[in-house]
Amino acid sequence: MTQDRAEFRNTIRGLAFISPWIIGFCVFTAVPVGLSLYFSFCDFANVSPAKPPVWIGLANYREMLGDKILWQCIGNTAYYAALTLPLGLIVALGVAMLLNAKIRGLSIYRTIVFLPSLVPAVAAAMLWLWLFNSKLGLINLALRGLGWSDPPSWLNDPNWSMPALVLMSLWGVGNTVIIYLAGLQDVPRELYEAADIDGATPIRKMWHVTLPSISPVIFFNLIMGIIGTLQAFTQARLIMPSDGAGPARSTYLYAIYLYDNAFKGMRMGYASAMAWLLLLAILALTALATWTSKKWVHYGGK
Amino acid sequence: MTTWKLLGSLVLAVPAVLLLAIGPRSKSHPPQNVVVVEYWEKWTGNEGEALQRSVDEFNATRGKEKGIFVNCLSTSGIVQKTLVATAGGVPPDVAGLWDPTIPQMAALDALEPLDELAAAHGINDKTYKKVFWDLCRYDGKLFAMVSTPYCYALHYNTKIFAEKADQLRAAGLDPTRPPRTMDELDAYAKALDERDKDNTLIRTGYLPTEPGWDLSYIAYNFGGSYWDDVNKKFTFTDPTVVKAFDWVQSYSKRLGKDAVTDFRSGMGNYDSPQNSFLAGKSAMISQGTFFAQVIHNQTNGKMDGQWAAAPFPTAVPGLENVTSCTADVLVIPKGAKHPKEAFEFIAWLNEQRNMEELCNAHCKISPLAKVSENFLTHHNNPYIRVFETLASSPNAHGTPSIETMTDVGDELGLFIPDLMLQRTNAKDGLAVVQARMQAKYDEFTARQALHKN
Amino acid sequence: MSSTNTGPQSISPATPAQNDVAMIAFPQTGRRRGRKPKTWINHLALWLVCAAAIAPFLFLLTTSFKTLENAMLYPPQWIPSPFRWQNYTDVIASGKTDFLLWTRNTLIIAVLGVGGTVFSSALVAYGFAKVKFKGRTFLFAVMLATMMVPFPVTMVSLFTIFRWMGENTGIQWLGTFKPLWVPAWFGSAFNIFLLRQFFLTIPDDLSEAAKIDGCSEFGIFWRIILPLARPALTVVALFAFMGIWNDFLGPLVYLQRPEQFTLALGLQNFQSQHGGTPWHLLMAASVLVILPVIFLFFLAQKTFIEGIATTGMKG
Repeated sequence: MTQDRAEFRNTIRGLAFISPWIIGFCVFTAVPVGLSLYFSFCDFANVSPAKPPVWIGLANYREMLGDKILWQCIGNTAYYAALTLPLGLIVALGVAMLLNAKIRGLSIYRTIVFLPSLVPAVAAAMLWLWLFNSKLGLINLALRGLGWSDPPSWLNDPNWSMPALVLMSLWGVGNTVIIYLAGLQDVPRELYEAADIDGATPIRKMWHVTLPSISPVIFFNLIMGIIGTLQAFTQARLIMPSDGAGPARSTYLYAIYLYDNAFKGMRMGYASAMAWLLLLAILALTALATWTSKKWVHYGGK
Repeated sequence: MTTWKLLGSLVLAVPAVLLLAIGPRSKSHPPQNVVVVEYWEKWTGNEGEALQRSVDEFNATRGKEKGIFVNCLSTSGIVQKTLVATAGGVPPDVAGLWDPTIPQMAALDALEPLDELAAAHGINDKTYKKVFWDLCRYDGKLFAMVSTPYCYALHYNTKIFAEKADQLRAAGLDPTRPPRTMDELDAYAKALDERDKDNTLIRTGYLPTEPGWDLSYIAYNFGGSYWDDVNKKFTFTDPTVVKAFDWVQSYSKRLGKDAVTDFRSGMGNYDSPQNSFLAGKSAMISQGTFFAQVIHNQTNGKMDGQWAAAPFPTAVPGLENVTSCTADVLVIPKGAKHPKEAFEFIAWLNEQRNMEELCNAHCKISPLAKVSENFLTHHNNPYIRVFETLASSPNAHGTPSIETMTDVGDELGLFIPDLMLQRTNAKDGLAVVQARMQAKYDEFTARQALHKN
Repeated sequence: MSSTNTGPQSISPATPAQNDVAMIAFPQTGRRRGRKPKTWINHLALWLVCAAAIAPFLFLLTTSFKTLENAMLYPPQWIPSPFRWQNYTDVIASGKTDFLLWTRNTLIIAVLGVGGTVFSSALVAYGFAKVKFKGRTFLFAVMLATMMVPFPVTMVSLFTIFRWMGENTGIQWLGTFKPLWVPAWFGSAFNIFLLRQFFLTIPDDLSEAAKIDGCSEFGIFWRIILPLARPALTVVALFAFMGIWNDFLGPLVYLQRPEQFTLALGLQNFQSQHGGTPWHLLMAASVLVILPVIFLFFLAQKTFIEGIATTGMKG
């Protein structure tokens, strides 16, 4: 009996402690997600109290199928993710490997590499807006210095606008570098020693020792990266013309289009349907990554 | 705590605490016991200052008399901010928008109808030039009042005309006057084009895509229109509209699509010295009334007296004084706390003296039917009479009353580059525009109808 | 939950991901592993990387000290001449921008939001870490899953809920700072996770002893655990602060009134002014927005190392 009572009291206690989260979860996550499912089946301008949501069944979803701009946005977002995620991984890992050496001034290098990721997104956007200026910007100044007489006008050229966004996001890769660095420093030395005895080349060591050892870190970053890129908004919104849509809508990202539908066109029902698709996409991709992770993520017996 | 850390924390914390304690809480300090009318404006810079002067004058005179204080706050993204704030139940009392946004906002129930307030102040259809009265109305109701309007005209560089007088005469053209018909415009343009020895286009006589705006108005000069207001149908596939855009494309065909692209990429923002007209790289351009001020400011007065304005040529004999008009408007959003007091300010601004002062400061025409001689003689735009005549003409067109106007702008913004790059022709391209825009419009109206039952 | 305070950007790759908190908070103890001493190649490569990281800052700094005419010169000057400190006073005090107003607004949200995040996340994390109860694992998994619900998914509904609340109850949240800081008082998933991991490393002996002395569960949390967790709390506070300082979409949705703009909105408003961007002032303003964050980082990094030393976590 007393044990039951103790258990009961503990449950009450535990729930009391986590109650802020439970309330917050219900009010700020569960209810809104549910509500947006309902809105997604409605026409809802959300402007006038005289015009409440009207049920229209699947009409929003049907409209999404035929919405060319939406598909362009999905394509743009996929393109952005396909460039940012692998490039971010390669660059961050490369820099982390450079840092993972007994060299002098390591902490200074590390701090410098980390600094850009501290810059607030809006300030970073203002800075890059200036760097990408086709005439006066630092980027084109450098490119001209390297002998490219006619460098692209980044933010106004549909072919270069997305690479510009990706370049900008790579600048802020420092935080990921720090994570990989910590991961690299945790690879057991014995594994390298064993590989050395086997006469492994550096590339083989990298492939068979380093990467498997830090695969959980890569996996973690991949998941965070997927969630982050699918909802990318601020930077494109701030540096690209037409409120983020970019030249010929080349940088119109999913979250920007969602925002525009909701708060520019006041098409809140449609935006809710888009929100649900976004949620499903995140869940599906996370699930997919988790599923494939069984093949490539090694949780070593550390 | 180390001294260093303590010091560092203080460096951050002291200003933060000071700012929280005694930092500014608002921009202005209205007097006590007055009704504060909150007014959101899109303008900053010189135009913003001119508006602020008008607001200050109101506050010092009529406002003081009636116990009203107008607090003018400027912001970017005004349309959207006004709409979202209105939805959220915290709108401003007055918002300074553009006329093309009126139909959408009114259809969404975001605007207060102004008919009664206007009538109470003796404002009616006789107050404004017809085109402006019409564009303030939607679905039979008045939803806005004009603040500063403008219309388009052909601007031409008289210095270039004089320099190229021989070439113009050789082509059988009169260098002392502007073209009056489309054929003449083409001929003038061709005679004024200039290429350097590498055959690079360094000057265009005329290029429809300079300054690169949407060109939706061009059909008017061909005697057509892309909107049938009676049947609520787009008419982009109308032969006159197709002809108009064929004409637009003819410039790309004659000059070469790459030449046009290269030319464009060398030009800057319209309000900069790199504007092709200001740089002497476009001899003729279609621009609004305010352009006189841009010319003056961006060339430090060096170009004053070297240009002139005239009605844009038309393709139809006898069709004269065709122009497209658009306006900055003041609206009272639904749910505004002080609509009456807000309208006091709007009505005051629409009094002839106050309106003419503001419109002159913005270098624009007056929306009012009555225009003072003083306004015409002392205007910042030496060709103000041309613009006033155009705006009063029966062939002055306002923005059509279309709820999905933003989409139209976006769509044309994609169509015209395609047209100029010759990825499509006018007929096929406009058919796509027509289908897409009509579908969007029908969707919009169908959804509006859902809420009527 | 994905509160608006930690911001939709908080997990995007280009902003400080919160996950590196974990790395700073719980440093890996592995020894640094050196490779063959081909150090000069290494140094060269690192120099290039650092140059790429630093050059934009330098460009930003020099532009912020130029006149607008000089900022538009080509090729650009590297050392501004004349050197214009005045850009900074122009930004702060000339009335050309409302920089102080924006900063004050942001600070209000930051103070309320950071306080809320730290307190509530610690409370919830304690519940998950130190109180054994039924359903704990399940609820914890649900909490982790909410990290997959970003703000864009819920923003329409949240806006609507707040709108209805204003219409029907008279409690007006839209057009106030409340939607930006109140949710912080209900914990944020990542911070809860982070603090829970930290709390797990604190041995139970201390709290058992306190319990025997008649200390309540909350008393243990408040008097024993929280003081021990100072370094982790500092990191949570730092990142909550940066989340708010960074947040653009949240204020964009909830704040329309120019006098309520945060720094992020203000900076954007300033950029899109009509008649050409005042680059020199915009860059000066950007420096002013960046500076406190960098300053705070250096400050807190030290606090942190010290914190680890005092709690004896190092080994």
